Amino acid sequence: MSDSPLVVVKDLHFSRGEMEIFRGVDLCIPRGKITAVMGPSGTGKTTLLKLIGGQLVPDAGQVLIDGADVHALSRKALFALRRRMGMLFQSGALFSDLDVYENVAFPLRVHTNLPEAMIRDVALMKLEAVGLRGARKLMPAELSGGMARRVALARAIALDPELILYDEPFVGQDPISMGVLVQLIKRLNEALGLTAIVVSHDIKETLSIADYVYVIADGEVMAHGTPATLDVDDDPRVSQFVHGEPDGPVPFHYPAVDFLTDILAAGEGR
Amino acid sequence: MIARLQQLGRRGCDGLETLGRAGVFLALSSFGVPSREGWHLWLRQMHFVGVLSLAIVLVSGLFIGMVLALQGYTILVDFGAEQALGQMVALSLLRELSPVVAALLFAGRAGSALTAEIGLMKATEQLTSMEMIGVDPLRRVVAPRLWAGFVALPLLTVGFSVVGIVGGYLVGVEWLGVFDGSYWANMQASVDFLDDVVNGMVKSLVFALVVTWIAVFQGYDLIPTSEGISRATTRTVVYSSLVVLGLDFVLTAMMFGGLS
Repeated sequence: MSDSPLVVVKDLHFSRGEMEIFRGVDLCIPRGKITAVMGPSGTGKTTLLKLIGGQLVPDAGQVLIDGADVHALSRKALFALRRRMGMLFQSGALFSDLDVYENVAFPLRVHTNLPEAMIRDVALMKLEAVGLRGARKLMPAELSGGMARRVALARAIALDPELILYDEPFVGQDPISMGVLVQLIKRLNEALGLTAIVVSHDIKETLSIADYVYVIADGEVMAHGTPATLDVDDDPRVSQFVHGEPDGPVPFHYPAVDFLTDILAAGEGR
Repeated sequence: MIARLQQLGRRGCDGLETLGRAGVFLALSSFGVPSREGWHLWLRQMHFVGVLSLAIVLVSGLFIGMVLALQGYTILVDFGAEQALGQMVALSLLRELSPVVAALLFAGRAGSALTAEIGLMKATEQLTSMEMIGVDPLRRVVAPRLWAGFVALPLLTVGFSVVGIVGGYLVGVEWLGVFDGSYWANMQASVDFLDDVVNGMVKSLVFALVVTWIAVFQGYDLIPTSEGISRATTRTVVYSSLVVLGLDFVLTAMMFGGLS
């Protein structure tokens, strides 16, 4: 049982209006490992996390967490399942009416009957783990972006989840807090045996911590493998992405008519 | 022509769909299990939507009562019937003006704030993260606000009536010189508890439900951008006002129009 994958995504289809976002995505997330899902922005990586968390319903296909089909569960069972997962949002998504301490204590208060003293100990432990025990009295509006994300991380691990979903954890961070976050994610995975899914397009940081990587583009899994195998992949699309070349099979330009025709077509307005 | 018809049909379907979503939303959020935690959340919302609306509602009530007395006096005095001023002020307030004006003020003061607050929580992913923590935002965020609005507006309406009647007294009796015995006695004789007071409160309860429902639903259902929030806030005030005035006509016809 314990070596079976924790999350299995089978033939996932999803579209938003006319836009087809996923056309048959298969993923397999092993327990206790850090799995990265990478791809250019706009490929629906955040959407994938929302599908795994059961907030969006796919057009076809399944998401199995520990064998349970997320989208077939009742509302109640889904909320029970979510207690076993944590999610780190891009914006942090801290509750703006609660201070840092109360934000971290929130999951403990609503899901456990622990006495106040115990809640305090756990919340301070989690804050200590992200290095922000001293900031417990601040309100979310007083935190910098990096600090907010670390508090959100402390809140996401408050209930010791089995699975944690990271949505673009490195975006918009200065090099120092980026390094701090990379280390934290790695350490949490090693120390607590957490299964992690990291969605990101920061190649260097992600490849340095991931055990396994999926690259998604055009609604499909373009490549997958360990960071070492991806680095030497011959597929020009994969190599363009992994080595960050500006133009290649994935075009720099948004589809448009020929530039010269466009310039000469003055008088037609925009 | 066909395209027009198609568009009309599409609009109608969209409208019905939204109404259905709003209905499910109301059902899911109003039957939360009351807990000690829920009680605290409700009390806090009572402060935000109720206590903080008190000033605007009471001041408006005072002025409306004073204007009623002033206008009523100039008409009644022509017929030598100025002793009936108390009756006129009390009945207009209890039956019509208190429930309607309090509801309109409430929509502007508290309804728009509820929409903007919930909308901003949605835009900053607070609602999503709450869901991921395994807490239903319908119960945690929406239900306390819905119930607070439902309880607060009828109480504000009572305050509006009381202050309005006092305002009418100040202008009618203290300033224009109507005999204060007839002001109160005529009021006492003509106001019927069931017909006037209870009917007014029923109106107010209906308005409270509708206004709060519109406000929290618009906040929950909006497109999470700054433009979406501003549009939803406007919609809250516009829809609430129209629905309150429309429903007021229907309720008045049922209560006082001899339809029953």
